[in-house]
Amino acid sequence: MNKFGTLLKKEIKELLTLQLVLPLLIGMIFFVLVGNIIGDEGKKAQGQQTIALIDNDGTKTSGSVTGILEKNGFYVDLLKDNDVNKAVETAKAEGIQVILSIPSGFEAGMQNVVPQEIGIYSIVRNLSIFSSSGSSIGENAVSDINEALGTGLIKEKTGLSDSNVSELKDPVSSKDFIVVGNNIANLNPNALLSFVMSQTTFLPIVIFIVIIFASQMIVVAIASEKENKTLETLLSSPISRVSIVVAKMTAAGLVSLFMALVYMGGFKNYMDGITGAASTGIAQNPNITEVLTKLGLNITAWGYVLLGISLFLSILDALSISLILGVFAEDVKKAQGLIAPLIFLVMIPYLITMFIDLKTASPVLRYLIYAIPFTHTFTATSNLFLHNYSLVAYGIIYQALVLGILIFICTRIFSTDKVLTMKLSMRRRTHAKNA
Amino acid sequence: MIIEKALVVENLKKNFGSFEAVKGISFDIEQNEIFALIGPNGAGKTTTLRMISTILDPSGGDAYINGLSIKKEPVKVRNLISYLPEEAGAYKNLSGLGYLKFMANIFISDRERRKECIETAKELSGLKDRLKDRIGTYSKGMTRKLLLARAIMTKPKLAILDEPTSGLDVINALEIRRTIKQYAATGMTTLVSSHNMLEIEYLSDRVAIIDKGSIHEIGTPSGLKQKYGAQNLEEVFAEVTRK
Repeated sequence: MNKFGTLLKKEIKELLTLQLVLPLLIGMIFFVLVGNIIGDEGKKAQGQQTIALIDNDGTKTSGSVTGILEKNGFYVDLLKDNDVNKAVETAKAEGIQVILSIPSGFEAGMQNVVPQEIGIYSIVRNLSIFSSSGSSIGENAVSDINEALGTGLIKEKTGLSDSNVSELKDPVSSKDFIVVGNNIANLNPNALLSFVMSQTTFLPIVIFIVIIFASQMIVVAIASEKENKTLETLLSSPISRVSIVVAKMTAAGLVSLFMALVYMGGFKNYMDGITGAASTGIAQNPNITEVLTKLGLNITAWGYVLLGISLFLSILDALSISLILGVFAEDVKKAQGLIAPLIFLVMIPYLITMFIDLKTASPVLRYLIYAIPFTHTFTATSNLFLHNYSLVAYGIIYQALVLGILIFICTRIFSTDKVLTMKLSMRRRTHAKNA
Repeated sequence: MIIEKALVVENLKKNFGSFEAVKGISFDIEQNEIFALIGPNGAGKTTTLRMISTILDPSGGDAYINGLSIKKEPVKVRNLISYLPEEAGAYKNLSGLGYLKFMANIFISDRERRKECIETAKELSGLKDRLKDRIGTYSKGMTRKLLLARAIMTKPKLAILDEPTSGLDVINALEIRRTIKQYAATGMTTLVSSHNMLEIEYLSDRVAIIDKGSIHEIGTPSGLKQKYGAQNLEEVFAEVTRK
């Protein structure tokens, strides 16, 4: 094996320790478990809902409410006792989230066209996202009751047919179209957004985590070499300084890519759990992929290649910056704090591109954010979906330029004694004592 | 035939900003000689050794190892030297043997010679079966023995050893000194630094007394003791630096 290969093997061995692999595996298992739990809970929350019903009217109309609700997919538990407190006790014991209370005089009021008020009692057990769906269950149930009884009442009062009543109630309807470039397709914008989000949300999170992990690895690796003085041994050995820099970056880059794959697997499972539960079947609609293809909203194989290049360049940019920061580290403990500026550099574009469209931002903000090389990886996914290849390509060229400059700085630092004196000059007095 | 000196140091200087760590020192070392730089902490010993090891760039002057300039030909110089930093560690996740193999791969291209060097280092370290264990499990003395074995296994033209016994107990320090002395006798020029004058008296053929970045005296231990009428090098050092 040549000297570079020997060095690379050593660097990978130093990085791929149990301390790194174990949290990675635990993280992966955690994401898979949490994803499955959330998925199961979501499905439960969206499954058949049970409603406890108190009928204080006892008329034919109030009695029809049970049938209306069952027709709309609810399971109805008609309570014999009309006392609300007792109804709450029963609902709690049976795990029912919602109680509907039909008032007395319900039928008579409706016949006289006086609006009636149904009481909705939502039982709050905790404040999680899925448990809060209880309040919407009651509203949905009342909406279904309104629809059915309203239609019946209008028919009775006007003598119109079912279809005519429907046209009378909703004289205007809508049909959604989405326009992308020169392509037009029949699709709801919310459906599109949900689908794209479900496919792309996890990627920026993975990029963020991997960049931070990779940076930490290399800063700690450099600091550890300086602290143990193994760097001095390497610098005095017959191996080129460029090889030392490139071996460290390649090893950290390879380990980071391995981590990215593991995290992508874990995150995909986690996001599938969440989106699968929350997306009311939109993302699962087989027609949506056809519509998106018609609109040209898909990432092609070439797009994935560009995305991979952009991601790898982001990692290498982060590693180069970390390598420079690592040179300032006096020891491993202080090295952790040194990557704070880098974390901000990654966090700013991550958060900003998540919430705003940079193209509509003010020019100053836009160019400031574009100047951060990581921005181009965060925006690459949406640009690739919209087939804005030129934007992605410019981003890649910019990232490569930044990388070239950073590698030049790294090799300059490692080719001179700055790799040691940048720390030493900060502690000149201490050095003087040890000289 | 004129035998080239192993090391010639000419007016070597190192500044850190406005602080002069080494103020233009000069000395030379003969082939197969053990030469020591002695002085207190902060005298400029480590900075001098780091410059000769091509790790620090000199601010002025130059040094020549077997005729090669450390400033102009540092890459070639690195093939001739082996540097052991003061209180250095090793890669804790590697085994002792793994570390020796790694360093042998870095220093030697020839497979057969590499094998020989690793065998030599195994012998010199005296760690036997513990070489299979992770370095992270080694004591300070074991790590130092491993690192010394690494530094001299290639039989460099110039071995540069910075405080080789610093922080070690009496037994480990004694073993390290013996190893250096025995291996140097097989034909290896050695530049060693220490603030332990008694250790240097035992080890070295000649010494240079360095303090505050300047060399104040050079000679054999016996010659210096005679010159200053001293019992040992500590007394010589006290006398030299008092002037």
